[in-house]
This record gives sequence, C-alpha cells and structure tokens, in this order.
Amino acid sequence: MVDIKRVSPVSFGKSPKRTEVRDNWTIAMEYDSEGQGLSIVDLSHVTRLDVQTGDLSGVTPFGVAIPEVPGQSVLKDGILINRMNGIQASVFQLPGNGADLPTDVFVTETTENTLCVAIMGKDVFSFMEKVSNLDFMDPKMTAPFLFQGPCCHVPCQIITLSKDGDKAGLILTCSRGYGKDMIHSLLDAGVEFNMKPAGEEKFSAWVASL
Amino acid sequence: MALTITCPICGKRNGYEFRYGGEDKGPRPEEAGLTPEAWCDYVHMNKCVAGVQKEWWFHKDGCGSWFTIHRDTTTNLEVKGPEADK
Repeated sequence: MVDIKRVSPVSFGKSPKRTEVRDNWTIAMEYDSEGQGLSIVDLSHVTRLDVQTGDLSGVTPFGVAIPEVPGQSVLKDGILINRMNGIQASVFQLPGNGADLPTDVFVTETTENTLCVAIMGKDVFSFMEKVSNLDFMDPKMTAPFLFQGPCCHVPCQIITLSKDGDKAGLILTCSRGYGKDMIHSLLDAGVEFNMKPAGEEKFSAWVASL
Repeated sequence: MALTITCPICGKRNGYEFRYGGEDKGPRPEEAGLTPEAWCDYVHMNKCVAGVQKEWWFHKDGCGSWFTIHRDTTTNLEVKGPEADK
C-alpha cells in the first residue's frame, strides 16, 4: 500500500523554512523573511466544499447557517461560508477546525479542483486594483463578503475577510489549472508592494485576530 | 465600446464578464401542433431591433447566472425595462 501524495498547484519558487505533512499535503508553515509587506499564503490544502440544493434555508454545514443573500459570507469557528447564488454556497474549513465533513448528498468536496491563496496586508486593495476591476472598496460591501469575478482575467471567487488597515486581507480561489500562471501574475504584480510568501501560521494568526 | 451589464446577483459589471444569450423570444412554443416552420422561426429568426430589446446574458466570469436585461442596440447601453418585467 502506497500513501497518496497531494500536491498543491501553488508554487512560490522558494523553499519554506518549516513544513508539516497533514492529510497527505505538505504544508508550508513558515518562510524565512516573511516581511512586513503583503503576504501570500498557499491554502490549497484547506478543505473546500460546494453545497448546492434547491432550498438552502435549513442547511447548516458544520453547524453554521448559510447567509441568505448572495455575496454575503460568514466566518465562525474556523468555518467560512459564502453564498454564491440562490441555490449554491461555498464552504471553507480553515486550519484549526477539525470537524468531520458533512455527508449530505448535496455537498461536494472541491478541495483538489481549485487553488486557494490568502493575501494579507494593508496594501492588499491597492494590489487588487492592479489585477482585477472589481470594487473591493465599495462602502456598501461590509466584510466578510464574496466577489465572483475575474482576477488576472481568470474567473475567481474572492472573499474579503477584512478591510481594516493592517488587518486587511482576502482569500482567492480559481480553477487548479490556472495555478502556475496565476501565482506568477500575482507575485509579479506584488513586487511593488513587497509581496512575500508566508506560511500557514501567519494566516492562522491573522484569522484569529479578526 | 464600453458596455456594463447589471447582474441580478453581482451588480453592475464589465460587459466582458458576460456572454450574450440572444434575444428574448418568450417561452418555448407548445409542441402540440408545432410545425417545422414555426419551430425554425422560433429558433433561428431574430427581430434585430434598432432600439430597446430584451435579451439574455450569462455571467460566465462571475456567478454563472442566466438573466435578461433591456439594452438599446443603437447606443449599446443597458436601459431600465418596463415595470411588467420586474
């Protein structure tokens, strides 16, 4: 019997200082010189689910209710749920939440179909202006909220978790096949913002601070 | 020409995020008594209005919704539809 090995579609071209193997993923926990500028964190190992059914009103993945209005998100106890449209929601089980996955027939695990990165830092929305025409600073949008739209011309789900100064940050997912080019584009656009790869520990500390 | 389209879920967005789905031709005709000519007309014939027309769009780079809007084909601007459509 050979253990399977899961490989992230994200590569920063730099070796992490410390890694951890979890559920067959090799996860970067920390990088050297993560710096004070923008941080980009590979979260492709984070469990992601698609929930799709005609009536979402009574559906509570991991015990968390799905927001009623498309575009709204909720973050509670390490579970992030984003309402996509009338019948669909995406669910992220962030690091630290070890609850068992729902077994309902309307839930599909999509972890290995997409890439997922978090981008954090006070300049994150200036950075996003370079790579997307979505209006993250729309005063009508209060965090957390979901945008479904293009980033680097690729259809993405982008969840803004915070718009507050140093705590500003978001999570971005898109199809796995765009991984290499998406990361290349993001890192290139992030040079002027001193974007550096960071490990999962920095992400977890950021989420805990929200 | 810059075109913006208002998606019912995502709001006003760049027209390049959408795929055009054709004129709105109303409900599919009943199959009982449907002649090949009438079906062919329904599928292939368009009014090609010079003015405001109701049309289908697909938010391909966004939420994946199909929806209708009214667009003035002479200005390529989305316009408010009649109250009856709301």
